[in-house]
Amino acid sequence: MTTVVEAEGLTKRFGKVTALDNVSFSLEEGAIHGLLGRNGAGKTTLMNLLTAQDFASDGAVRIFGASPVENATALRRVCFIKESQVYPDDFKGKHVLRSAPWFFDNWDAEFAQRLVAAFDVPLDRKMKKLSRGQRSAIGVIVGLASRAELTFLDEPYAGLDAVARRRFYDLLLEDYAAHPRTIVLSTHLIDEAADLLQRVVVIDQGRVVIDADADELRGSATTLVGRASDVDAFAAGRDVIDRTTMGGIASVTMTGLSDEDRRAASAAGLEAASVSLQELIVNRTGGRAGLDPSAQEDAA
Amino acid sequence: MTATDTRAASAPAPARGATPIARILNVVRLHVANPVPTLVLPWAITFAIFALNLAIWLMVARAAGGVENLEEDAFQYNGGISWIVVFMMVVAIQAMSLTFRFALGFSVTRRDYYLGSALFFVLLSLLYSTGLTVIGGIERATDGWGLGAAFFAPFGLYEEPMLTVWFVYLAAMLLFFFLGAAVATVWMRWRAYGLYVFFLGLAVVVVASGWIITATDSWPAVGEFFVSTSPVAIAAWTLPVTLVCAAVGFALLRRATSRS
Amino acid sequence: MDEGRPIFLQVAEMLEAQILDGSMPEGAQVPSINELAQFHRINPATALKGINLLVDQHTLYKRRGIGMFVADGARTRLLANRRAEFATLHLRPVVDRAKKIGLSAQELQTMIVKEMEQ
Repeated sequence: MTTVVEAEGLTKRFGKVTALDNVSFSLEEGAIHGLLGRNGAGKTTLMNLLTAQDFASDGAVRIFGASPVENATALRRVCFIKESQVYPDDFKGKHVLRSAPWFFDNWDAEFAQRLVAAFDVPLDRKMKKLSRGQRSAIGVIVGLASRAELTFLDEPYAGLDAVARRRFYDLLLEDYAAHPRTIVLSTHLIDEAADLLQRVVVIDQGRVVIDADADELRGSATTLVGRASDVDAFAAGRDVIDRTTMGGIASVTMTGLSDEDRRAASAAGLEAASVSLQELIVNRTGGRAGLDPSAQEDAA
Repeated sequence: MTATDTRAASAPAPARGATPIARILNVVRLHVANPVPTLVLPWAITFAIFALNLAIWLMVARAAGGVENLEEDAFQYNGGISWIVVFMMVVAIQAMSLTFRFALGFSVTRRDYYLGSALFFVLLSLLYSTGLTVIGGIERATDGWGLGAAFFAPFGLYEEPMLTVWFVYLAAMLLFFFLGAAVATVWMRWRAYGLYVFFLGLAVVVVASGWIITATDSWPAVGEFFVSTSPVAIAAWTLPVTLVCAAVGFALLRRATSRS
Repeated sequence: MDEGRPIFLQVAEMLEAQILDGSMPEGAQVPSINELAQFHRINPATALKGINLLVDQHTLYKRRGIGMFVADGARTRLLANRRAEFATLHLRPVVDRAKKIGLSAQELQTMIVKEMEQ
């Protein structure tokens, strides 16, 4: 498989704030990748660097094997849709869709029309007069109809309702099946998008905290609930990522349990439950910020 | 589709707009996508100023009891048209600040964007200078709209051949377009602070030149230069300044980001 | 989909369930990867992984350029497997719980017989 995106020691500082801190990862061609993390974790900054819309303070980016900075050949194969996209004043939806084919070689006008109907966006209204959801819909239309070999969708459905979001997922899957390409979907709605993702890169406070196959992450962690003494006895020496107590009951989340282990836990009188992708990511990105695990230990 | 071929990468379609020229022309098209600020507004302003002047001339002529009672050059000292030349700076600043981030979002490189914008400004300069010269020709043919007026080729250009009028307009338009381009990039890079510094610097240069000229008693010489030098020569002198502005704009834009 | 378990396993299990209940008889064509992906709203690569798991276990077989089919004897083999793992996967937890609330083997047996007769 070919690597399309590579980041090496990527660092971005804004004054004293370090938005990205020594980020390294790579993305394979022809897959739907997820770039996940909380708001402000550095996802948009990262994509700005990957598409040369901003410059790195340190480190290197390669897309299609070359630096994207002022690289017209590489950038023409890229489409980056972001919520914060600025449109020229007085630009209407129709202006956006009219100019898109000038910059995206694989533009499919027919598909764009279908998407306009699917999302029911008014094309004859100024972009700045559109609602947040309608502006997002225009972005989604450009992102899908451009069929760029490498498509970044940054929070593409901000302001879209549940029905429109589901329509987006369906259209994305349908079009991806017919025209396989590399898609990087950035979102904080992990639950909704999780099933679509093949690989997951999770950013927290400017660092990569998870970079793994989505299906390997699912079920990689287990939560055991039971008498605190039993739970702790079982958890001893294991990779515990979260622990809470309530009275004499403890709930401990740990990784690396085999089916055997789970049966053993159940035999020991503990309730075992798999941890969803969403919960796992929440755990790894400061799900209990402000609640120091050691402080809980003391309270218990 | 079978299980094995879902992973097959789509063959990239032949790149339609991949040549550098095509990419630059697409930026020009982007600028014209909404023609109001660059192609409609300047003409509207020109004709509005002209209409206003025309109304005043008619009023004055009527009060004087006919054009023949006025000095021959009464309506020839008119700076109205210079506004439109200066307005081109605003057009350039607007055009660039409106479309840059959008173009960047559509995967355009800064180089292609700047070259396309520069080409657009050159085309606009040609269009406006030619248009104004043609109207200036009509003005002369109609004996100054029947009033002996000179609006489109006023004092300083009144006696000059049409080709000179055209060249002076072209050079002036180019100067203000690229001055605008430079100012726009300063704005994009450093926002308001950049402009403060820029205009403060400009003021310092102007005041310092004034001081130097005064200190060396050179004002008569400066006046002499403008009287004795032909409009063509003065216009030609702006070209290097225009080039410097264009180069500054390019250098600054190369490091501009989508946040700016 | 259950977010707590690998989706490719769930895809494989759903197809197995359809083979077991007879809705996908031996020799029948299995939905394509993209049909599966769109129906379940999952990544096509994940669906492919689930299918490949069943191909490796000889439950499905590929016919190049045509699609995936249920293998001969797939149902029988699946049934045998399910029976073999029934005790550890399903009976064991029941027994554990029964012990916890003090049910004897005799009592549990009576309950099972009664449930099965219903």
